[in-house]
Amino acid sequence: MTKLLMNRRRFIGTTALAGAAVASPAYLRRAAAQGSGEVNIWTYNDFVPEAFKEQFEAETGIKVNVRLVDDQGKQFNLLAAEQPNPTVDIMTVAGHRFLQFIDSELLAPLDTSRLSNWGNINPTFSESDWATINGEKWGAPILSGMEVLSYNTELVSEEEALTWDTLFSEKYKGQTAYIIQDMMSIVMLKLGYDGNMVAYMDDPEKAAAIVEEAKQFLIDHKPLVRKYYESGAEFQQMMVNQDIALGHSWNGPAAALINDGFPLAMTIPREGSYGFVYTYNIANNAPNVDNAYTFLDAILASPEIGASMTKASGFISTYKDASNYLTDLEKKSTSFPEEQLANLQFFRAEANEMKYSLVDPAVEAVKAA
Amino acid sequence: MTYDASVRKDSDGHAVASGPRPFWGRVANWGPYRAFAVFLTASPRRQFFILAAFPILWLLTQHLGPMLQMLRVSLIDAYPVAPGTPQEFTLDNYMRFFGDSIFWMPFFRTLTFAAVFTFCTLIITYPVAYFLARHVSRKNQMLFLLLLLIPFWVGEIVRTYAIMILLGNTGAVNLVLKWFGLIDRPIPFMYTSFSMGVGIVYLTALYMLLPLYSALEKLPQSMNEAAADLGAGAWTRFRRISLPLTIEGISSGCTLVFLISTGFYATPVLLGGPSTTVFAETIAGFFHVAGDEWPTGAAFAVIMFAAALVITGVFQKLMYMLRKGDTR
Amino acid sequence: MNNRVELNRGNRIFLACIYWAFVLYVFVPLILMIIMGFKDSKFIGFPIRSWTLDWYKGVFSDAEVLYTFGYSVAIAILSTLISVIVGTWIAVLLEGRKFWGRAVTFALMVLPALVPGIISAIAFRIYARWLGIEPGMGAIVWAHAVHNVPFVCLVVMARLSTLPKSQIEAARDLGADPLIAFMRITLPYLVPAILGSSIFCLLLSFDDFVRSFFLGGYEPTLPVLIFAMLRSGMSPEINAIATVALVLTAAVGIWAERFTRRTNKESQA
Repeated sequence: MTKLLMNRRRFIGTTALAGAAVASPAYLRRAAAQGSGEVNIWTYNDFVPEAFKEQFEAETGIKVNVRLVDDQGKQFNLLAAEQPNPTVDIMTVAGHRFLQFIDSELLAPLDTSRLSNWGNINPTFSESDWATINGEKWGAPILSGMEVLSYNTELVSEEEALTWDTLFSEKYKGQTAYIIQDMMSIVMLKLGYDGNMVAYMDDPEKAAAIVEEAKQFLIDHKPLVRKYYESGAEFQQMMVNQDIALGHSWNGPAAALINDGFPLAMTIPREGSYGFVYTYNIANNAPNVDNAYTFLDAILASPEIGASMTKASGFISTYKDASNYLTDLEKKSTSFPEEQLANLQFFRAEANEMKYSLVDPAVEAVKAA
Repeated sequence: MTYDASVRKDSDGHAVASGPRPFWGRVANWGPYRAFAVFLTASPRRQFFILAAFPILWLLTQHLGPMLQMLRVSLIDAYPVAPGTPQEFTLDNYMRFFGDSIFWMPFFRTLTFAAVFTFCTLIITYPVAYFLARHVSRKNQMLFLLLLLIPFWVGEIVRTYAIMILLGNTGAVNLVLKWFGLIDRPIPFMYTSFSMGVGIVYLTALYMLLPLYSALEKLPQSMNEAAADLGAGAWTRFRRISLPLTIEGISSGCTLVFLISTGFYATPVLLGGPSTTVFAETIAGFFHVAGDEWPTGAAFAVIMFAAALVITGVFQKLMYMLRKGDTR
Repeated sequence: MNNRVELNRGNRIFLACIYWAFVLYVFVPLILMIIMGFKDSKFIGFPIRSWTLDWYKGVFSDAEVLYTFGYSVAIAILSTLISVIVGTWIAVLLEGRKFWGRAVTFALMVLPALVPGIISAIAFRIYARWLGIEPGMGAIVWAHAVHNVPFVCLVVMARLSTLPKSQIEAARDLGADPLIAFMRITLPYLVPAILGSSIFCLLLSFDDFVRSFFLGGYEPTLPVLIFAMLRSGMSPEINAIATVALVLTAAVGIWAERFTRRTNKESQA
């Protein structure tokens, strides 16, 4: 086993070196000067395009170690267990989860002046209200997702899909599914409140009453739902198996189904919905900070890289002009009409502590009801 | 010292299979070994001490160590501890369970499910193990057993998804039923206690099958024959002979399955419905959905652990009494 | 071998039916899994409109998948070896012996099996850091070994409790010291239980996700890789990987069965 391990390491090392020697001696010298030529990344499957990774390794001599993760909480737990000497340099945090990581001092602020390609990011994402906390930037936005209503076009009409009410209608009893945590925010929005709860930060009693109302709404409609699901793969499987006709989902998993030719479509309903952004972040006390910046700058270099991330994940690229590199079907599965986009707002983190101290028990109560 | 013994045991253990008889005579008469054996067995006390030293050390450092860590986490007010803040010990994390009835439902549900599914697994696998051990020729037993074990080499997640495409609305079962014209609209099997049961029994069957098989396999045939000679029917023979003599296997199989079922997370989450939330899901929620509530999660885990321990303890005691009652 | 009881035919057929029904229950999902590996789509499920071999081809040309498979197998074997030795030892200590603190020892023994996966994984992670064990293969092997000890122990204890005391006593009467008596009598008697529980351990280790995730480094084990892939959907690729893993392990299992059968025959001869 050890032998196999050695061989593989040596193999990767040799190819990277050989490539680097041919490609760019200048880069190689710089990388060598930075000490150990590695950068350690925690991210989701397909968030670092394979072709980009190979090219980056060849050009800089920096070896990219990717550790695949499958949710935000695990990254948090793992990093918390590793601090103060983490093994990781770059991790993938959703923008609205920043605060939790920052409060536990797990992230280092991002020095955007070290990223010459920072300007390649669409300002909608890089300069948005959630992106700046304590006067600092904390991550480089790469992909954007949103909470949408997805429906099987053979079973549900487009008209019906334009409102969240259809998800709670008797007509589709036993044919719907949603992620219950996310649905709490949407139901608050649907009931006419601020689902981010930023507006009620000074009024905890009002906040509690709103969460209670949303909770009661979900309990009342519990007999209609087929499944409270957790992962995108479950949602896709329920659609394919026709266990459900419509449901709330993130756009990424839905887009993957559309691109595979499944009769699915998605909308941002008129009551509104929330979006979120995945960012690459540098860990506090990261072992290879310089390499991490080199990597971030390289991955932001071209809209083509952004497009390939979109193709693989189904989430929308944050890069300017990335859509120029997508096929028509891919464009369709990652874009929305202007009037629907107007209904979208981003998740915000300011009130998270209060919000989740109310929402988490409410979720438990809905499940237990 | 103890470590030496383990090495010796191991190397000698291999010799058992291949070595010829005189080997053991040679070992027993070999000077250094004799000295070693005399040293080991000088007094029953020393013998016991040497036997016990390594296991006790292992149990304390490896089994108890991580759990003490968890216990400690369950008693502090915040974890991971923010730098520069003092940590305080508190019982609040435990009180949260007893103070809020919404946690009781999944808790009791988990215990009930575990008990019910353990019983189902027993009912389903006992005849299978019985058939294997009593009616398949000894030559083929391993092969037949292996046949049943093969599917268990596939990971929990992949198997669970396979069950989804078996039971889904356009799943294999519904397709077959439709093809035979037995139904015109699909039966919604998925996301019910039924689909969850199918998935869980699929996962636990093996852990019941092996202990049952090994208990049944060594059941002396002669007893059954004698009983048959005396005119006892199949059912009586089963009830009076096989069942009591395999109670050890039943008890260890049930303990194993019960313990494993209380900890299941992925399968209930994937196959269950809106009203089948299990406690492992609640606990996991504190570790990842909510993020920074490790102490509460740890406290709930301790509660689950204590409950499962009490139940298995009572169960073992019952089984023990049953056994005693039978031999009397 | 011929001393089987003359059971009435009805009973036998009934039992055989249950057995084969059980085989069906166990195999149908498996067959579905294998079939789906040939589906020409990114998602598993019916209906299947067209077929492809690409997913299977992909598995064999993907060095990472093959490497990960080998890595998981190595972890499973190493951790099983440790669990079997330690578990048997503890079982010998616990079974049929009365001593002060036996109940506590028993409770300690089952402890790792009782703790829900995620908790035990995090507990191991914190503890590993405290001990200074680096995340990686060693840490995973360690965690799997500790977690699997109770399973070996319970199965071996069950078997040990049925060991006829007279045999040991006879050996002792003939002058064998306890160690030799253990090697000659007890250990051979325990072999089926040890083999059975090894299979348990191999399976538990090979299938484990949480502990491997928390204690692993940048090399994923097979379940960790599958979990990560699952995020972009349950693709036939995962089925293909699982099928290949299954065929390889089943081949090894059948070979092992043949092998033990042959050695048994030789030793009987």
